[in-house]
Amino acid sequence: MSMTLYLGCLIRTLYPEVEKAVYEVLGRIGVVFEEPKGASCCAPLGLFSLSKNAWLRLNERNMRLFQSTVLTVCDDCFASLSDAFKILSEKNNVRVPEVKPFGKFMLEKLEEKGLRFSFKGLRCAVQHSCHLLRPARNVDNAENPMVVKNVLEKLGYIPVSYVSELDCCGGLVFEEKMRDAIARRKAEALEKSGADCVVTTCSHCMRQLKSVSRLPVLHLAQLSALSMGANPEEIGISEILLRRMVNP
Amino acid sequence: MISRLKEKGAGDLLKCIQCGSCTSSCIVNAVNEYFNPRRIIGSIVKFNRLPDQDPWLCSSCSICVERCPQRVNPLSVIMALRMIKYENGDAPPSRVFELIEQIKKTGLAFPLSNEAYEKRRSLGLPELEMDEESLKEVKKILSEAGF
Repeated sequence: MSMTLYLGCLIRTLYPEVEKAVYEVLGRIGVVFEEPKGASCCAPLGLFSLSKNAWLRLNERNMRLFQSTVLTVCDDCFASLSDAFKILSEKNNVRVPEVKPFGKFMLEKLEEKGLRFSFKGLRCAVQHSCHLLRPARNVDNAENPMVVKNVLEKLGYIPVSYVSELDCCGGLVFEEKMRDAIARRKAEALEKSGADCVVTTCSHCMRQLKSVSRLPVLHLAQLSALSMGANPEEIGISEILLRRMVNP
Repeated sequence: MISRLKEKGAGDLLKCIQCGSCTSSCIVNAVNEYFNPRRIIGSIVKFNRLPDQDPWLCSSCSICVERCPQRVNPLSVIMALRMIKYENGDAPPSRVFELIEQIKKTGLAFPLSNEAYEKRRSLGLPELEMDEESLKEVKKILSEAGF
């Protein structure tokens, strides 16, 4: 069955290595997909704060271009699209496409195909993205999220728990000083976790934590592609990280 | 004021019991006590006053929504305050308009950096450009909303 791939603005403009990783994963597990050329930004909170109507109209336009289940690679897009589609479905009494976040998609695919990958011994601290979990959208447990951790385990990595795990990274705070203070607080917690890297499924978390964290910050798609045998250099996995792995 | 907030999508503020679950979970409050969701709602329901705290400081993480025992949805109140302040002539952070301008230019909220452009080419990734017709539609939606 074909899917609609929605990569989101940040990944396409800032993280080509993540985009490459997504294509590698989809190709390797045999998922046919299309990317509607005319789709625009899903306009999460900045715009939504000023005009709910514009946000809804942009996503109504996007929705018309989507012919199948939408796979999102950024959890902020997931939240914006699924919230908008829910309102549109109630308002117009129409069928709307399902929106699936990358973590959940991976878990379902790995389970469906019974896939498990060789042990890599890399310890990963998950930065759970707020908009995937809250307000609860039945994707994961909001107070004890497990989806990304379960995917990591199946891919051969070791998810580690840490203090302040559910804390927001502050990426969508508009005031710079406050945004940086929150990022530093989160980065400190992540560094104390003993992990080798940080893993997330949100491109805003990625950008925010990359700006302060001493640990490498990766998208789950990059580690998924690595386990499946993609070329580490093309998907943005550094030498340093590879040296920390068993069976890289 | 409560009815005006509700028009903008604010949840049921009157159910608030000022327990502070929102504030104790709030990440912005953890780094700056000035931002306090409990007090934001308190100043509206107890004093019928627009809170002096800046609603743009909220990170929109929604943990207050998840943990509120009264299902007030403090985030919806903060988002409604952003709209009301904007309508009252209080300028939002300039970053908001930069994002909107960028969407009008390319359909995406962020510009493509030179580094990413080169990397996209070397990885053989598809062109980013949106077709003219689509971009026109996106611009129309935004300009009709006053942007």
